[in-house]
Amino acid sequence: MTMADRIPAPAAQPRADAPETARLGFRLTLPAQILVLFISVFPLLMQLYISLTDWSPLAGVSWPHAWEYWNSFANYTDILGDGRLWSALWRTALVIMVCVPVEFLLGLALATLFVDDFPGKRVAYSVLIMPMMVVPAVAGYMFFMLFQSGGPVNDILSWFTPEPVTLAWLSDPTLALVAVMAADIWQWTPLMFLILLAGLVGVPDDQLKAAALLGASPWARFRTIVIPRMKTIIVIALSIRVIEAFKIFDTLYIMTGGGPGVATETISVYIYKITTQDLIWGYVAAIALFILIALSVAAVWAMKRMAK
Amino acid sequence: MSAIRLENLVKRFGGFTALKTMDLSIADGEFMALLGPSGCGKSTTMNMIAGMERPSEGRILFGDRDMSGVPMGRRGVGFVFQNYAIFTHMTVRRNLDYGLRMTGRPAAEVAKRTAAMADLLGLTDLLDRPAAGLSVNILQRLAIGRSAVMEPAIFLLDEPLSNVDAAFRAVMRTELKSLQRQFRQTMVYVTHDQLEAMTMADRIAVMDHGVLQQVGTPLQVYNDPANIFVARFIGAPGMNLLPGRLAETDRGLAVDLGPLGLTPPLPAPLAAAARGGKAEVTYGFRPEEVHLDPEGAALHLPLLLTERIGARNILHLGETGDAVRAVFPAGATLPAGGTVRFAPAEASVRLFDTASGRAIRGV
Repeated sequence: MTMADRIPAPAAQPRADAPETARLGFRLTLPAQILVLFISVFPLLMQLYISLTDWSPLAGVSWPHAWEYWNSFANYTDILGDGRLWSALWRTALVIMVCVPVEFLLGLALATLFVDDFPGKRVAYSVLIMPMMVVPAVAGYMFFMLFQSGGPVNDILSWFTPEPVTLAWLSDPTLALVAVMAADIWQWTPLMFLILLAGLVGVPDDQLKAAALLGASPWARFRTIVIPRMKTIIVIALSIRVIEAFKIFDTLYIMTGGGPGVATETISVYIYKITTQDLIWGYVAAIALFILIALSVAAVWAMKRMAK
Repeated sequence: MSAIRLENLVKRFGGFTALKTMDLSIADGEFMALLGPSGCGKSTTMNMIAGMERPSEGRILFGDRDMSGVPMGRRGVGFVFQNYAIFTHMTVRRNLDYGLRMTGRPAAEVAKRTAAMADLLGLTDLLDRPAAGLSVNILQRLAIGRSAVMEPAIFLLDEPLSNVDAAFRAVMRTELKSLQRQFRQTMVYVTHDQLEAMTMADRIAVMDHGVLQQVGTPLQVYNDPANIFVARFIGAPGMNLLPGRLAETDRGLAVDLGPLGLTPPLPAPLAAAARGGKAEVTYGFRPEEVHLDPEGAALHLPLLLTERIGARNILHLGETGDAVRAVFPAGATLPAGGTVRFAPAEASVRLFDTASGRAIRGV
């Protein structure tokens, strides 16, 4: 018998008058509410306002006077015809569709290896998660060096080919995208590995033993016990990486700057360029709101599907 | 075919020896309980029978077949885990037919055997319910059914009742025993609860510190414990064990228990056996086999407290509380305090060699 069994529970406190409590609660959280309004709602409204104008920092008036450049919904109709925006979105989707599954499969395979003990596990573990700790800009610089036409990647490839390989990775439209994806996979597989390892360790050992005793092969155990039991954590891992990969910027920007041409221009790079180079801030605000709404709709749809 | 033989079985984990040279034969269709306190090696033994652990030495035979190197999925062993290890992410049906599906039986056979097993265990109405959130007795039946549907020749149960509250345990014991009668398999049942072992098992193997102490029917183990450990472990409360020295009296050989006094003379066969051995012996008798003896030349101890537990009363005699316990039926007239004079029934007296702990048995 534990102590909790013996000690009688304290008599329930008489409940305070409910409206009174609610009012007090409101007053106590008021500062936090104002803060949230200021840091979240206000910028959104400001963005919405600017997105309905042609205002730019060169306009000569400060942003509250942006109404002088009112253009109704012209920015939003421009979005529909902006080919560069749509191809940037498509390219971002491509990066997500390639990188996230590869990171997931690599991470899962590595995590499976790390469930059981082996000599040197701790060292291997530290080495494995190191890429995650590298500042993305530094990772970009590292891969920029690796993928030079005279760089180590070509040197290593040359070992397997009769002719020396002199691929111009970062100036070929297709290869540049491959190099950028390789950097992303290198840097973010460890995160996938960490999350999935936590999930794998949580799979009850006796269920695996029970399945083995009932004659299930290792692959069958993985399919029928491990994966279903890790479903939640797999969803979390994939969600985190999809959201993060959508925002891919720093590594890529250092490696290619979005080039050659617009060959590796993802949505973040595109927005960065039109913000700092073209200075069409009304349009940028419209794009940002459009993506926010599109992503929210997609997220709600995905969550509804997963709940089924 | 489904008899089990353990030959010189040893299990070491690093420098720790979990099981020291165990030999045990379990007959076909027998219900064998492995009984002992936690850490005695009983679960290790069972895990080796199941193939989850590899023996460090010795071998395990099912019938005449040496099982070393046979993976656990191919041993034809049903295993019920302590927490049942039900696949809670599946339905009851998917749990029940898991083994059949995983071993690639035809769909028609899977459906037929699953339905038959569900019917036998009264699970038919629950088949399409998720396995999560079922009550403990359903989980237990499901765990047994999931193994039984594979028709294993050998059934291993690892403390299946330890998660159940006391009232329910009695129900489950009956249920388990009747299930075993239905399936007629060889059963090995690991438990630390002697009541489970005594009520269900055909034979009990008592273990302690990785050593097999005694194998026998529940009554043999209860009446004739092979050593001091078994005597103390079996029975609730366990046997009274009082260290003393053999002493020759004018009425025959007795044991001098020091401050407690001199025991009544030992029964003749026991006295004969004791004469050959060491003088330092431990005098044992069951608490149920004590009678009050206010006039006789009996043992005497102060009454410490009286426990009244409904059907019987337990007297604690001695200075510290763990010296001697005596059990009387509820209606018996009991002393209220002071020094109690008592004597054990002559037939219930057991002697043990204090140094080795082994029983001294009169022939």
